[in-house]
Amino acid sequence: MKKRNPLSPYFAYAKKCFLNRSAYRFDHLMNILSTCLQIFIFWEIYRALYGNKTQVDGITITMLTTNFVLSAGLGAVFCPDDYFLPGKIWDGSISTELLRPISFKGRMIAENAGNALFNLIFRFAPICIIAAVFIGLCPPAGLLHALCFLVSAFLGWGVLWAISFAVQMTAFWLINIWSILTIKNVFVRVLSGSMIPLWFMPDWMHKIIAFTPFSSIYFTPVQIYLGQLSFEEIALRCTIQLVWIIFIYAIGDILWKKGQKKLVVQGG
Amino acid sequence: MICFEKVSKYVLSDVSLYIPKGVCVGLIGPSGAGKTTLIRLACGLLEADNGNVITLGKNPVKHRGHFGSRLSVFMSGVPLLCLDETVKQGFELIKEVYHIPEKNFSKDYSRLADRLGFNGFDSLIVKNLSLGQRMRAELGASLICRPELLLLDEPNIGLDEIGKAVLCELIKECCERGMTVLLTSHDMTEISKACDRLAVLNGGRLLFYGSEEILKSRYVPTDVMTVTLCGSLPDLDDLPLNRYSVEGNTLTLSYNSNYVTAAEIIKLILEQTEISSVDIKKPDLESVCSSLSEHAIIS
Repeated sequence: MKKRNPLSPYFAYAKKCFLNRSAYRFDHLMNILSTCLQIFIFWEIYRALYGNKTQVDGITITMLTTNFVLSAGLGAVFCPDDYFLPGKIWDGSISTELLRPISFKGRMIAENAGNALFNLIFRFAPICIIAAVFIGLCPPAGLLHALCFLVSAFLGWGVLWAISFAVQMTAFWLINIWSILTIKNVFVRVLSGSMIPLWFMPDWMHKIIAFTPFSSIYFTPVQIYLGQLSFEEIALRCTIQLVWIIFIYAIGDILWKKGQKKLVVQGG
Repeated sequence: MICFEKVSKYVLSDVSLYIPKGVCVGLIGPSGAGKTTLIRLACGLLEADNGNVITLGKNPVKHRGHFGSRLSVFMSGVPLLCLDETVKQGFELIKEVYHIPEKNFSKDYSRLADRLGFNGFDSLIVKNLSLGQRMRAELGASLICRPELLLLDEPNIGLDEIGKAVLCELIKECCERGMTVLLTSHDMTEISKACDRLAVLNGGRLLFYGSEEILKSRYVPTDVMTVTLCGSLPDLDDLPLNRYSVEGNTLTLSYNSNYVTAAEIIKLILEQTEISSVDIKKPDLESVCSSLSEHAIIS
C-alpha cells in the first residue's frame, strides 16, 4: 500500500485558497490600488511634515517610506482571516470541521498560508515595485540583513496569526466578535508602527510598546531591513518574536480546548 | 457499533440502545424528541451528562477526529461541502482529507454522481445549487469515504420522491456490504423501506426499539374513515368501532384494523344507504408516537 502523506490535506487546503483568491481579479486589483493610495497619502503627509529637512532624529524620508511600504506590503501578505472560526460557528459547520480527521488549527494555518503565498506574489511584489519606481525605497542594508529580514518577517506573520487565532477563539463564548476584532486591529495598526512609525513615538510609549507583541509584527523586520540593528540585536528580537508566538498561541490553544469542551457540554 | 448505556443529555433520559454491525436503524419521533441530540452524542459532538456512549469501540468525545474514514456524519443544515467551491472540488478536498485512494475515489464518485444525479451539476458552485441538489451532493460526500458507520440526521429533507428512493437503495446496498447506519427522519414510510429496525423516541425516552412489524402489530393505533352519505344515517351498532361521530352528512369512524376491516364497514353501510365518497386514513407517525407514549405512561 502506498504510504499516505499526512500533510496532503493541508496542502490541498492551501492550494484551494490560493486558487480561490485568483478568481476575484477585480477585487484583487482594487486591493493593490487601495494599498498604493494609502502609502501615497502617508508619503505626502510626511513630506509636508518634513518640509525641507532631510532628516528628523536620524530618520530620512526614504527610510520612512520604506517603513510604510514594507509594513503595508507585509500587512497585505499576512491578513489572517479573522472570521474563520466565527463564520464556522455561525453557520454550524464547526460540527463538520470537528469531525474531520484533520487538525482544525492546521487547516487554519494551511488556508492562511495559501492566502499569504498568493498575496506575496501578487500583492507584495507589485506594491514594492510600484513604490520603488514612483516614490523610491531604501535597498536592504546587506545580503545578510535581507535574509534576516525574511526570517523575521516570517516570524512576524506567526505573531499576527497567533494574535488573530487567540482572539477568534473568544467566539466560542461571545459569538459576535466584530467589536473585539476591531479593537485588535486598531492596536495592531497603531502599536505596530504601520501607521505612525515607532521612531517618532515618545519614550514612555516605547516602554509600553516593549511589553506588547505588536512591534514584533512589522517593525522588527523593517528595522532589520534598514540595518538599524546589530546581529546580536537581531538574534534577540527574533527570539522575542518566537517567545510571543509561543505565548499567544498557548493562550489561544487553552481557549480552543475550553471552547470545544463548552461545545461538547452545552452544545453549539 | 454504537452502544448507549443509560444515557442522559438535555431532553434525553436513560436511553439504552445497542446497534450491531451491518444493521440500519431508523430513529423516529416528533420534533424535539431528542433525535439530533442522540446523533450528536453518537459522533462525539456532545458529551453525555450521565451514562456511557461507545462508538466503534471508543469513547466518541475523546476519539473525535481520530476515526478517520471509519465514521461519516451527515447533518442536514450543517454544510459538508464548502459553499464557495464547486461540487467536484469539494469532493477532491474530501478525498485528500480522508486519504481515499484515487482508484476507489474515481469509481465511487462516478457511481454516486450517477445514482444521486449530481453529475449534471458537479461543476457548479455549491452555494448556487438548490436545496435538493445540495442535499444530493452532500449525501454523496458522506458516502464517498466508504465509512463503517454512517450517521444521517434528517437525510431526506429537500429530496424529491426519486431522490428518497435512491437514498433508500444506497443505504440498503451499503448495509449489505456491512456498513452500519443510524438515521433520523420524520417520514416513516420512506425510512421504513431502508431500515432493519426502528427506534421510536418521544419526549427524550426510547419508547420502542425493534423491527417495524412488531411495532405495527403491538402499537397499531386506529384507522380513521370519513364517509360522505347521500341517504339516511346507517345503524352501525354491531361493529366494534372505537368512536363515531356525525356532522351533517359526514360520518367519521375510528376503528382498530385488527378487529374490523374497512371492507366490512363499507359493506354494512352500503346495505343500508348510499354513499358519495370514502376516505381512509392509516395511522401516521405522529399517531404511532402518541399511541406509544400513551402505552409508555400506562406501563
